Amino acid sequence: MSENTKREITYLEAVREAMVQEMRRNPEVFLIGEDIGVYGGAFGVSKGMLEEFGPERVRETPISEEGIAGAAVGAALMGMRPIMEIMFMDFATLAMDQLVNQAAKMRFMLGGAVSVPMVCRAPAGSGTGAAAQHSQCLEAWFVHTPGIKVVSPSNAYDAKGLLISSIRDNNPVFFIEHKLLYRTKASVPEEVYAIPFGKAKVVREGSDLTLLSYSIMVPRALEAAAKLAEEGIQVEVVDLCSLKPLDTETIVQSVSKTGRVLIVHEAPVTGGFGGELAAVIAESEAFDYLDAPIRRLAGRNIPIPYNRTLERASVPQVEDIEKAARALAREGR
Amino acid sequence: MATEIIMPKVDMVMETGTFVEWLRAEGEQVEKGQPLFVIMTDKSAIEIEAPASGILSQISARPDDVIPVTQTIGYILAPGEKAPDRTPQPAIAGYGSEAQPETLSQTATVTAAELAPIPSGELRGKVRATPVARRMAAQLRVDLAHVQGRGPRGRVHKADVLSAVEQPAPAATELPAVERTTSPLNLPAPVQALTGLAIPLPNARQKRIVPLAGPRKIIAERLAYSAAAAPHITLTASVDMTEATRLRSMTLKKLEEKTGYRVSFTAIIARVVTSALANHPFLNASLAGDQIIVWEDVHLGIAANVADYLVVPVIREAQSKDLEGIVIALGDLLERARAKKLTPAEMNGSTFTISNMGMYGIESFTAIINPPESAILAVGSIVDTFVKVEQTMLEKPLMKLTICADHRIVDGVAAANFLNEVKNKLENPYFLI
Repeated sequence: MSENTKREITYLEAVREAMVQEMRRNPEVFLIGEDIGVYGGAFGVSKGMLEEFGPERVRETPISEEGIAGAAVGAALMGMRPIMEIMFMDFATLAMDQLVNQAAKMRFMLGGAVSVPMVCRAPAGSGTGAAAQHSQCLEAWFVHTPGIKVVSPSNAYDAKGLLISSIRDNNPVFFIEHKLLYRTKASVPEEVYAIPFGKAKVVREGSDLTLLSYSIMVPRALEAAAKLAEEGIQVEVVDLCSLKPLDTETIVQSVSKTGRVLIVHEAPVTGGFGGELAAVIAESEAFDYLDAPIRRLAGRNIPIPYNRTLERASVPQVEDIEKAARALAREGR
Repeated sequence: MATEIIMPKVDMVMETGTFVEWLRAEGEQVEKGQPLFVIMTDKSAIEIEAPASGILSQISARPDDVIPVTQTIGYILAPGEKAPDRTPQPAIAGYGSEAQPETLSQTATVTAAELAPIPSGELRGKVRATPVARRMAAQLRVDLAHVQGRGPRGRVHKADVLSAVEQPAPAATELPAVERTTSPLNLPAPVQALTGLAIPLPNARQKRIVPLAGPRKIIAERLAYSAAAAPHITLTASVDMTEATRLRSMTLKKLEEKTGYRVSFTAIIARVVTSALANHPFLNASLAGDQIIVWEDVHLGIAANVADYLVVPVIREAQSKDLEGIVIALGDLLERARAKKLTPAEMNGSTFTISNMGMYGIESFTAIINPPESAILAVGSIVDTFVKVEQTMLEKPLMKLTICADHRIVDGVAAANFLNEVKNKLENPYFLI
């Protein structure tokens, strides 16, 4: 192993490195968004990129998400590989028509004559005190839209590999980052590598129950699982990595093994992706192995509060996961 | 951390336990593993050890309470710790378990009448079970209605089905299997008819009412069934115990040094009976439906009186034990029976029973067959008696043996032949050593 594999960088740096490395090797790749140039992006993701690639390839735009998305769709149709950045995932609402009705549909409506190889990057999630309009997790909307792939990495290593796959994919990909993960570190190789979509990871093995999760909830789930292990409860934590395509095989396998499943996500529980996961499991052969009801632990059905205490209470924390997993693991045993 | 004390499930088909007494007082420091309380199951009284060390608190069980298994009956707390809030779970309308008391509500103790065994299927409504429990039940042909669920509101989980397979509940079509801890006995109409008789009670002042529960209930049910279902024949013979007494005196010291137990007449009789049973197969047999099962093993039940209850600890595979082996097995079983340490499994599944009332001064008596066995040997006391031997009267230690057999499968001559073999062997017992 080279020294590189031991190099630790942050999630934020991993996202930047993926973009920089792909832009270096492919002149068709460019970045477009608000405040991404001189300012380096609202969270500093694109810091230094303007200096290296110039304003042609690090394109600053007016405050218009629909404009950014429209330009990206157009450029992709003409053979470029745009990476568009939405400053907060909440603002994706403004780009909905371009993403849902244009980017996702073009290839199908034109009989495969065109493709739309673009990436829409956006940070999601609460925990920064940014209140209801800057804290949402809207992945379910895009998972629900045929023609868009959705990935949501939980760590720096996956962020780099999945972003490179997203850039190289010939179809629109919604790449969901998480604000609280930006500062988390992981061992990330310097070389270019791609992680294929549709592959979930069993990040901790266990026999008592399966915990399905993604994004920020994966490190929280791991922390809860470590605590529960001290009590003798062995939780298997599965990081879905990509929500669409979904790795149903790994899910079904794990749930069949443990017979119990807890689904954890930050987005509100009602209409959230957890419902889809529950249905996938109930419809699969894993049903016959279920030894307890499928359980969801997710955000409350409320706009994220500004008050930090309430904000924290509105989405699953480590102790909530611990409690829910313990209760489920003990049911009927 | 607060540790719940629950009514334990010491037997896989146990649904309730009768609380007998706390061995420690509330507020006392208890150590994990120390005897904490006593319960009665259907089979026996059992001492339950403390699940953790700490202060015994919030005890709710009182003597004679009939309590569903897993119900919390108290807590063990760390010093200064408060017991968790205990909010009773309301019964949820529409669920099948509503006919049963809510097992999650820890304050409810119920009378025996409310907890009368519920016939499968009918009263319970739909069975609550997880998908895997249903699938496995179908594969293993387990009737979920007979399985007690440990999940919320009695939901049956995988573990419950597996437990049920290991220790199946009574089922009419099943053959008796001696390895199982539960009786294969399915109580048919006679018992229901007997227990259901509407005989008016005397008009008298009541002193107290004792619930028919635990061992008392099992004794009542089984023996009523046996008396009603099995036509008993009774044969008595006198046995000259001169040689058996001499043999006992000869071996007493040696065997006591070797085994730590005194050789009792019961042990000698047990050894002789086991040896005789080999030649009389229908005395070691069970009637099950239209089949007579002749047992290879002799699982010898020895009736004993412990804490005012009849218990029948079982010497497994007695046919493979010599006198020393019987002495050890019997000594150990009785010792633990008195200490209430016998498991239900050790008091179940006998194929023949000996009941010795000699030590109570009873000269002879008849016994009720312990179902599903086919016979029981009732042993009286040894009485020095003058008998006429070749024109002279000699004093001899005589003992009356009475064999009570189920005439459905044992005829009078068969019973007589068996009894004579036992008599002859006791009168010439030196083959034992």
